[in-house]
Amino acid sequence: MSSYAAFSLYVARESGLHRLHPLTKLALTGFCLFASLVLPGAWATYAAFGVILLPLAAWGQVLPLLLRAAWRTVLPFALSLFLIQGFFWTGGTPVLALGPLSLKREGVLFAIQSTGRILLIVSSFLLLSLSTRPDALMIALSQRGVPTGIAYIILATIQIVPRFQAKAATILDAQRSRGLETEGHLRQRFRALLPLIKPLVLGSIVDIEERAIALEARAFSRRGPKTSLLVLVDSPAQAAVRWLLLLAALALLAARLFRAI
Amino acid sequence: MIHIENLTYTYPRAPRPALDHISLDIPQGQFCAVIGANGAGKTTLCYALTGFIPNFYRGKLEGRVQVAGRDVLTTPLSELAGEIGLVFDNPFNQITGARFSVREEVAFGLENLGVPREEMLARVEEVLARTGLAELAERSPFTLSGGQQQRLAIASVLVMRPQVLVLDEPTSQLDPVGTKEVFSVLRDLAATRETTIVLTEHKLEWVAVFADRVIALAEGRIVADGPPHQVLAAPDLERYGIGQTRYTQAARHAQARGLAAPDKPLPVTLEQAVAFFTSLMSVAEGDVMR
Repeated sequence: MSSYAAFSLYVARESGLHRLHPLTKLALTGFCLFASLVLPGAWATYAAFGVILLPLAAWGQVLPLLLRAAWRTVLPFALSLFLIQGFFWTGGTPVLALGPLSLKREGVLFAIQSTGRILLIVSSFLLLSLSTRPDALMIALSQRGVPTGIAYIILATIQIVPRFQAKAATILDAQRSRGLETEGHLRQRFRALLPLIKPLVLGSIVDIEERAIALEARAFSRRGPKTSLLVLVDSPAQAAVRWLLLLAALALLAARLFRAI
Repeated sequence: MIHIENLTYTYPRAPRPALDHISLDIPQGQFCAVIGANGAGKTTLCYALTGFIPNFYRGKLEGRVQVAGRDVLTTPLSELAGEIGLVFDNPFNQITGARFSVREEVAFGLENLGVPREEMLARVEEVLARTGLAELAERSPFTLSGGQQQRLAIASVLVMRPQVLVLDEPTSQLDPVGTKEVFSVLRDLAATRETTIVLTEHKLEWVAVFADRVIALAEGRIVADGPPHQVLAAPDLERYGIGQTRYTQAARHAQARGLAAPDKPLPVTLEQAVAFFTSLMSVAEGDVMR
């Protein structure tokens, strides 16, 4: 089982995308984030998704994973946006009547536009996470001067959910063995969760304190140049691509500001 | 190597000092065990030796602590980390979470110290071999057993080549197999005499075998200090909540039944116990044959 499986989305593949420097992929994610906010109209974000992200995901051999994760994440938003914006848009042109409610064209377009934005943002982060080792990203950031504390927080945040889940399971087991009733109708199951909160939070605080001590014992807070066992391969071509992405983002912004698009 | 002068420390908002006028000198290369009931101050002493008191825990501190030539109270933790290593009881919480293989986890400390990559690779392999983790080098730290994780914590600290290694109850959360693994690493380390070891332990049978010196703490004060056969067999430490090894207890039972002379030195290890009881048997046989 992969070392990363429980703690991040990363899946190892022998692909060119995986071999790219983490900052190149981070730059792409940043560009997509920016583009999702700046691109006008309802459909441009879908085009960006199709033209940029899908081919890259295929190159990285993570296309099915990306589609599945994106579908699962975006669908709830899409549905609620469609329903709320579609039916409760004030004014607007009714397109369909459903009893007292009517579906408005402007609402539907707004829902499509917002969903497109969410799709582009979420998918670009997914592509980054699927193809980049979290520790590699952390090392790349600290090599560029990002304080290691911040990089570590990002890394640790990814790991919080599985750790919390494991801890909660242990606490629930301990409470069950002392007679806590956790099965039955919904209200009883909900009540069973309340005694879980305090030990979970307090226990996690103790864990965090000990982990902070462990990090200090590894000289984590030392200032000064750090080295790396992992070798990150960068190239002038990739550096050029990162600059191009920055320029493209600026060009997009300029075009939008000057109403060219 | 370790020089503590009149150390008194009180945790924030605590009614009593956790350490009370402790003075202690530990020479280079010594394996010093610290025993005592819970709350006696063992963990506090470990934190004081490694700088977490007062740099992490604040509180009120008086006295001097010098370790490996550094004044621990005024040196930043990041500077102490390479010289004085700390391993504590929870194996899982010592996994940094910053790296995803055993090899990289061990190298993490050296990365922070800025050690060149070639040297890092060599040192990591050496330490993995010494702690018996070489075959696990590619595994995720989170999939290891408790004993393996604790050996990983020791390896991650040892690779930084500290002059002093402080271990706070490293086997308290381990099963007997894990305990044996950890002590076998410590035995090999102690044999090199390169590192000064301070070990806090409740498992007195292990302390008796490996320690050069045993210090007993009670309510923040040192109540005994000497070689294992002396401190672990001392009759008057029970009132401080400090137990004795099984061998000593068995020998005292024999004394209480009049089977052994009251002034006969009590055993603290298995070998000593065998010798002790064998000599009792010879005396008994001699009686029978008379």
